[in-house]
Amino acid sequence: MSIRKGKNYPYGIHVKDMKELCADKSIEKMPAPKKVYISMSQHIGAPAIPVVNVGDKVTKRQLIGKESGAISANVFSSVCGTVTAIEDIVTASGLKMKHVVIENDGRDEEIFFDNIADFEPKTIIERIRLAGIVGLGGAGFPTAVKLSPATKLDTLVINGAECEPYLNCDYRLMIENTEDIYRGVKYAAMALGIKKIIIGIEANKPKAIEAFSKYDDIEVVVLKKQYPMGSEKHLIYCTTGRKVPCGKMPFDVGCCVQNIKTVIAIKHAIEDNKALSSTVLTVSGGAIKEPKNLRVQIGTPLEDIIEYCGGLVGDTVKIVSGGPMMGKGMISTKDYTRKTNSGYLFLTEKETSLDEPTNCINCAMCAKNCPMRLMPMHIEAFALNGDYEQAEKYGAMNCIECGSCAYNCPAKRSLVQSISMAKTKIKEMKKNGK
Amino acid sequence: MENKLLVFSSSPHSKSRRTTKQIMISVCVALLPAAIMGIIYFGLNAFLLIAISLISAIASEVVYLLICGKPFKQILKEFDFTSCVTGLLIALSIGSQTPLYVPVLANAFAIVVVKMLFGGTGKNLVNPAVTGRIFAFMSFTSVMASGWVLPSITSLKSGVSIDPTTGATVLTNIFTNGTLPNLSTLDLLLGTGLAGCIGETCKIALIVGAIYLAVVGIINIGYPLIYVGVTGLFTVCLNGFDFSYFLPSILSGGLILGAFFMATDYTTTPNTTLGNVIYFILLGLVTAGLRQATGIEVVSFVILLMNLFVPLIDKFVINKPFGYQKQKKVKGAK
Repeated sequence: MSIRKGKNYPYGIHVKDMKELCADKSIEKMPAPKKVYISMSQHIGAPAIPVVNVGDKVTKRQLIGKESGAISANVFSSVCGTVTAIEDIVTASGLKMKHVVIENDGRDEEIFFDNIADFEPKTIIERIRLAGIVGLGGAGFPTAVKLSPATKLDTLVINGAECEPYLNCDYRLMIENTEDIYRGVKYAAMALGIKKIIIGIEANKPKAIEAFSKYDDIEVVVLKKQYPMGSEKHLIYCTTGRKVPCGKMPFDVGCCVQNIKTVIAIKHAIEDNKALSSTVLTVSGGAIKEPKNLRVQIGTPLEDIIEYCGGLVGDTVKIVSGGPMMGKGMISTKDYTRKTNSGYLFLTEKETSLDEPTNCINCAMCAKNCPMRLMPMHIEAFALNGDYEQAEKYGAMNCIECGSCAYNCPAKRSLVQSISMAKTKIKEMKKNGK
Repeated sequence: MENKLLVFSSSPHSKSRRTTKQIMISVCVALLPAAIMGIIYFGLNAFLLIAISLISAIASEVVYLLICGKPFKQILKEFDFTSCVTGLLIALSIGSQTPLYVPVLANAFAIVVVKMLFGGTGKNLVNPAVTGRIFAFMSFTSVMASGWVLPSITSLKSGVSIDPTTGATVLTNIFTNGTLPNLSTLDLLLGTGLAGCIGETCKIALIVGAIYLAVVGIINIGYPLIYVGVTGLFTVCLNGFDFSYFLPSILSGGLILGAFFMATDYTTTPNTTLGNVIYFILLGLVTAGLRQATGIEVVSFVILLMNLFVPLIDKFVINKPFGYQKQKKVKGAK
């Protein structure tokens, strides 16, 4: 029953919300498609290894991809049916990934885990690992690894900021599945041995704030509506006042950040004995007929989703997987839902920016707005000249690629792209021992 | 759907509507009140000078790009109105009796030598308008420094007589003879009874323009205020803490135009807040000091001089990343 205001952080930007397109639409369950294409690398780390063969009959929530290595995650079937192919597919985001293709036979069966034996941290974490749960906010880091840190933590922060424009899936879950989130959070806290639980929610979601204010053991922190509030480092700063040092992780300051969808998946895995096989996403944008919040089976082709939402109207110039600030552009509609998807956006020319980049006019708008306090114009200049050592000196590795710089750039320069390239090159340099 | 290509690019996929072109048009709009007041005060001459200056600025850029081999259509498409700002600023910072060839040459120099040869918009080391003005001032000293005319609207305070033919502006009087102008503050603000450049005379018009720029978020009004404030205060200090010098020192001469429209040029200001504060304080100190020492209006010279220090400031004043920790020195390491 405690609500307090979050700490003020002066750097960041104000973006047009666009959430009104489907903020009031409750989550609809989309029927399972005829065919699902389930990727074996839906997480950070080693891809899962397929444990089924072409022709095998599988049941919903049956293990089809087994984790390989310390950082990896299990993958489960999202429908009942027959495996028709296991192949490498280049998806619309341009990455080549192994997919297991399953033809849905319409059976209504499911496989469940056995009831959990006890609620010891080890048992909980083992169940989370088995259920293939990864960070569903987008990063896809295996949750079991995140919940077994080397140091002792004292605060669990739940990320209810959802600062990306257009996206509403976390918001809808917060008001529709409040109890599930609460229970999931409790299990996560149990696994970590933490008492203090904070949920950070942006001020533009009063219903969600109200929903969580009824719990005595969760502290609700109302965050200023500002982008990028949902970035791990900024969320920790605004809710706890701690600064994560450069190059360090949240656990270095005793915090663990979990996403809304992740904690719901934890609840399902532990109480309902369900493996992760579906996700909630927002389908929005000016070019889709009916923007919707959907519960979608993993592996659902994007084309089916478009059809379900009434098809495309108007001129789609860009399809984005994720939010408009950090989401990935796609070259076609050949994409399949993954665990970490948070939305698909169909943007018209008016909503996106197609302006050609011009000369930097040194207005320093990027440096003024950078939430990491970097100097994007310098890093970009060094990156474009191939001077990656200087780019690193100017803090390129601290960039969180939130896009605040490029959003405000009057010269429309692709700052994020250049900095991201610099980061890749710096990592390569370090790997090769310079 | 199938027969249409999608745009594929890096994030972010939505961007603010602000563009370089839009910023430059806003600056031109902000300079309009001053230009209109200039035309009211100084008549047809002023109008002709402003028109010629604008045309020559745009023409210089277009001709340069044509010589470089850019197709005319592309030049039109990429035209970003920076040359309009330069042209307007040069016209506003010369006297109304200046011969018409002066702004033409000044603009050609400003656009071609100062801006385009360094790589165009955003690549110039120093402010083109300021440098163009100084070029004209140095090349045509006699025609530039004489022939000040009083505005058509005379002083609101009766009994003021400044001989326009002697060429002494109020500012020159203050610093060479130590005489304060016999003008009311309102006169100083409106520019009535003050001889001066076309656009520098009516301060109210300039301030209105500056407030507009601040409201639409193009300039941070704090920085030029630092410049103006420091100049005024330092002048007061240099004159034995006589506060009657404060207003005349900031409201006469080209300080307001220089501070709000020339010194705030994005390309030639530092990138950080601290850097900007240092830059504008230095501008104020140097302006007040040099005015006192030389007795002439030095704002444009000071801006040109300090422009050259900007890369230096940017090299040493850098934002510390969020969560930055000082690297601990390892003890005993050599």
